[in-house]
Amino acid sequence: MAPVQAQVLLSPAELSYLHSSLSLNPPIRPDGRSPTQFRPLVAESDILPGANGSARVCFADGTEAIVGVKAEVEKSQWRPTPQKESADVEMDDEQEEEPGVGENSWVEMSIEIPGFRDDDPLPVFLSAMLTEALLASGDLKDRLYINRRFHWKLYVDILLISPPLAYPLPLLSLTTHLALLSARLPALKSERDEDPLFDDDWEASTPIYPRSGRQKPYSAYLDKPPVTLLVMAVGQNIIFDPSKEELAVAEAVMAISCAASQSQTAEAVRLLSIRTIDPPSRLTPPGIPNLLNSATGGVAPVSSTDAMAQREAMSLLGVWTPPRGGIKRNLVGRVLKMVVEKGGVAEEVLEALEKIEVES
Amino acid sequence: MTSLKRSTALDPSTNLSSKVYVRSTRSGKVQKIVRELYLRQDIPCSSRLCSQCLKIAPTDYSNKVAAFVLSETPAGTKAFPNGHYLVPDTNAFLTGMDLFEVETAFHDVIVLQTVLEEVKNRSLPLYHRLISLTKNEDKRFFVFFNEFRLETHVGRDRGESINDRNDKAVRRAVQWYGEHLQEAMRARKSARCPTVVMISDDKENLRKAKVEKIPALTLTDYVSGLENAEQLLDMVSAGKEQREVKSGKVELIYPEYYSMSKMITGVKAGTMHQGTFNVSPYNYLEGSVHVPAFDKPLIILGRENSNRAVSGDIAVVEILPKDQWKAPSTTIIEEETLNKNDNADEDDGETVISERERRALQEEVKRVHGQSTEGRPQPTARVVGIIKRNWRQYVGHIDKDSIRSTSKASRSQQTVFLIPMDKKIPKIRIRTRQAGELVGKRVLVTIDAWDRDSRYPVGHFVRSLGELESKGAETEALLLEYDVQYRPFPKTVLDCLPDEGHDWKVPANLDDPGWRGRKDLRDLLICSIDPPGCVDIDDALHATALPNGNYHVGVHIADVSHFVKPNNAMDKEASMRGTTVYLVDKRIDMLPMLLGTDLCSIKPYVERYAFSVLWEITPDADIVSAEFTKSVIRSREAFSYEQAQLRIDDKSHQDDLTKGMRTLLMLSKKLKQKRMDAGALNLASPEVKVQTESETSDPVDIQTKKQLDTNSLVEEFMLLANISVAGKNFEAFPQTALLRRHASPPKTNFEELANQLKVKRGMELRTDSSKALADSLDTCVDPREPFFNTLVRILATRCMTAAEYFCSGTQAYPEFRHYGLASEIYTHFTSPIRRYADLEAHRQLAAAIEYEQLDPSLHSKPKLEAVCKNINVRHRNAQFAGRASVEYYVGQALKGRVVEEEGFVMKLFSNGFVVFAPRFGIDSTIKLRDLATPEPEADFDMENYVLATSGSRQVRVELFQKVRVRISDEAEESTGKRKVRFELV
Repeated sequence: MAPVQAQVLLSPAELSYLHSSLSLNPPIRPDGRSPTQFRPLVAESDILPGANGSARVCFADGTEAIVGVKAEVEKSQWRPTPQKESADVEMDDEQEEEPGVGENSWVEMSIEIPGFRDDDPLPVFLSAMLTEALLASGDLKDRLYINRRFHWKLYVDILLISPPLAYPLPLLSLTTHLALLSARLPALKSERDEDPLFDDDWEASTPIYPRSGRQKPYSAYLDKPPVTLLVMAVGQNIIFDPSKEELAVAEAVMAISCAASQSQTAEAVRLLSIRTIDPPSRLTPPGIPNLLNSATGGVAPVSSTDAMAQREAMSLLGVWTPPRGGIKRNLVGRVLKMVVEKGGVAEEVLEALEKIEVES
Repeated sequence: MTSLKRSTALDPSTNLSSKVYVRSTRSGKVQKIVRELYLRQDIPCSSRLCSQCLKIAPTDYSNKVAAFVLSETPAGTKAFPNGHYLVPDTNAFLTGMDLFEVETAFHDVIVLQTVLEEVKNRSLPLYHRLISLTKNEDKRFFVFFNEFRLETHVGRDRGESINDRNDKAVRRAVQWYGEHLQEAMRARKSARCPTVVMISDDKENLRKAKVEKIPALTLTDYVSGLENAEQLLDMVSAGKEQREVKSGKVELIYPEYYSMSKMITGVKAGTMHQGTFNVSPYNYLEGSVHVPAFDKPLIILGRENSNRAVSGDIAVVEILPKDQWKAPSTTIIEEETLNKNDNADEDDGETVISERERRALQEEVKRVHGQSTEGRPQPTARVVGIIKRNWRQYVGHIDKDSIRSTSKASRSQQTVFLIPMDKKIPKIRIRTRQAGELVGKRVLVTIDAWDRDSRYPVGHFVRSLGELESKGAETEALLLEYDVQYRPFPKTVLDCLPDEGHDWKVPANLDDPGWRGRKDLRDLLICSIDPPGCVDIDDALHATALPNGNYHVGVHIADVSHFVKPNNAMDKEASMRGTTVYLVDKRIDMLPMLLGTDLCSIKPYVERYAFSVLWEITPDADIVSAEFTKSVIRSREAFSYEQAQLRIDDKSHQDDLTKGMRTLLMLSKKLKQKRMDAGALNLASPEVKVQTESETSDPVDIQTKKQLDTNSLVEEFMLLANISVAGKNFEAFPQTALLRRHASPPKTNFEELANQLKVKRGMELRTDSSKALADSLDTCVDPREPFFNTLVRILATRCMTAAEYFCSGTQAYPEFRHYGLASEIYTHFTSPIRRYADLEAHRQLAAAIEYEQLDPSLHSKPKLEAVCKNINVRHRNAQFAGRASVEYYVGQALKGRVVEEEGFVMKLFSNGFVVFAPRFGIDSTIKLRDLATPEPEADFDMENYVLATSGSRQVRVELFQKVRVRISDEAEESTGKRKVRFELV
């Protein structure tokens, strides 16, 4: 997985301090948050009048993103189906209209991050991850189906305004989520396989994510776009929405995409994907124990491999050692439970995002 | 997590607003469009009562404020004694446009921008009428841009429909106007403040207005308070509410139209076809639609299949299954005979096809099934939707039988049928309170709608033209029917005339700018030859012998383009009128009288500007050279055809002028021979001339027009000039020359005639080229019957396509050909006083010889195409109007007389036949049921074109047979026209 680029300038001693305070039970985070608490953010949606849907989110650390969603009518490529032999426009009224099936190529996402080329690994990786979640979350692409000859093509343009101080995934995901929630498509007036004709009244347009019209406490949406959360683990502690500094000492980092579950019975949240991310802590410089430091009377190792081998054997408290190795199975299980369970983190996030006024 | 909510409610003090809508482009793109609106406060109310607005009103480039429109003393009514301004909503205009155009009422009207835009979206023709109303100074209509004014702009609430918002905008504007005027009155310290009244038929809107204390009335209530209310009320469109009353119980008799998108998709995919719906003149139940995909038009049979399409509409049709195909009708079916007893009021049990109609159709089908070769079934189709209604105003008369009470005193509203003059238009149901008065009058109506539950379209009364058969009413009726613009020229047009008026003269001083580039041809012995009494003389000729044995020949055309400059008001008016229309007793000019009959007209003995085409021609009529020039000429004499002929024939005249005319005649004969050799057609159309008493212009006699040699003399040289100019213009402007073409008719057009000639006379009609056709027409001679050849020519002419103007860039060179004249290229140049095409050709020629710059409008292909389209239509309508006028006068001339004449059978039907009487140049149908009562049995042999009757009267009629007919006149029940009636003797 692509490494996080932002280098944090912390000394091994500071890293070690941070690491040990995050390992406490309960952990003490530098900004005083609880493990599942998110940073405060400022969000608004439908900020670009010209786009079909849009949102802006600004995190307290100064990172800010804007997402615009645009939809265009596109001719579908005709594919032979077993029953039909001709590509003719069928005007048969008897034929039952079956719900259309969308294609992955109907959603296109582009991410712009200041200081990065669009083919740099970070934007490519981020857009792959967000698109993947978007397509996996169910019927978004099916909703882009107009008829057998036409479909909507959805362009999601993500723009990070600030430099990428922290790993920008959660920010971009939340902003995209909000933009999609507010996105609307012009109302279709034509029927069946006719050339599409739309209502020219924007007010008549329909949201891509339809509303249920139900009253609280239920969600006002039948379906919602996914969110991708960033979770890290230090020792036995699971920490959500890590800041840049926290990431620098993470032992494991995971990006978890989930969406609201359509059925109200079971868990409130559906898990869509998990990806482990190379924690930036691996690239931090290790602390040097006094035993190995000639300045403090220790014996300096001859080579770097030697140094590593000796450090490995010592595992001294208070000296920073970049974490190594993978994630333990039961840790993953615990993380998932925290995210997905009723009243869990994901549900809370989704509910909070819904409260952000969507202009209709 | 916290979130920030930006206030979405508009800050009332902000002057920025926006408008969001969806736009679908032609290429299928769908865009969300956001328009920002900057609200302003300097839009004046335009009331002369207001002094405040005068200060803030924006000024134009000359620092003047546009004159305020609304009167300071608007008319009062009982309800509004202090006078009132009207603010109609969109529906008021849509349903009552005819009312607003009335001269006597509806002054001081505020047209809101909201309303104007909505009218534009709903109906473009009505929008144009509204625009022209706002330009009419007497009506005092003011367009108030309420959406741009801060105080009257209203936003759209959440969940509010566009209509509700617009209604709100109208109410807001009315309210503002009311308050604004009151303020103005306070400033003037005047007590008599006019009321601002909203006109709306929307119940909800009226209710809200009441709550908001805004004066509002329905259109009907308002009109009821006016004088002459009954007449005015009839002019309201049959509103939806009125029509919906019955919707509960009535079954829907017509199939529903497809949605627009379905039709567009179908037409694109080729499963449906789009074309103009035409109704057969002989059978009102048979329509046809010519679609690009097929050579022959698709036939549409019966009311249900024609599904509310009215002749002229652009319809989308779907082809019916093959078992429903059928041959074109051989029966004459007229609406009045089948549906005489319809009740206009009664809708119950109305079916699309009445029992009798159905029977008539069944018989048709039976007949077709028995046929083999000639009546091969043809594809039929049904109308599935209308792309564009081409409804216009229709002239007709009230069906007497549909009136319940004819007493003039009865003011109750009743529904009556209007029978249009045009047989192709169905009866129109109108509601009127003045039925008693309208009987026996020519009435102008419009169609408002044709709903699925109504057998006939619903319309409303516009105005009465006068008594049936009165000259004024009938003339106006046919001008309206053929859409001839006959109102006097407006002032703006007359302002374009030269200031000198009739005193204008060719400047004496040769240094005058008028002489620039002009040749002095005053020495030439020029004369004009025209029909007797002609005052708008377009052309004059001369010929002189040259020392080398050749001749110098000139055609001199009135230089109209000198007086009519491109794009001024006069040019626009002329371009719209397209042509002068000649009726029997009347001429509707394209250009104002001053130009047409005086300044441009090449009158004898005076100097005139001209555009001359000069040739050197050998004695064998070969052209050596041609030259085009602007000139000054002096015509020596204006002859009539007869006078000219007499002078040429009279050997005692040996002066140079007469010699010149003899030369012209000699050359013209040779030119004609050459043309004929090249394959020009000598076609015939029945032309008669009605002689009228000079004072009353009552017709006294009818003559067929005589053809003299001098007619052909003028014609030949005009053709020559036109061809020469066409070549020159095309050479100078290959893309944008205005030319005239006559497409060679498709072979199928002649199929029937050729077959008829073969079967009946054993003659062969070859149609591979115009030359072949001309030659074979020459062989179609019956030695016993000299008129037979003319008859064939008349029939052949009817098979031709119509010649048309076009812009050279739109066709390939081979398509330029003029079939009838057998000329490669052709244009109209020689009658600029009466045809707009000629005027354009003059301008192009003037630019081609570098006399002046070409106006940009003549460089632009799209603009020229639009001009061509219009003048093609105008030209055709003018011809129709002229013919209709002749027809009317023939009817009048025969009034009360009975004549026996010979006639020829032109067309056979299974229940009648058409006879053509050459003496009067008219044809008329004789139906079998008119031969004897009871209607004789008939046996129609379609393959041999023989109709034999048996029973009550035994007659055998063949195609082309000469018959004697008794001609009398009769007021035709169905159209109210006086028409000739033929009876077989």
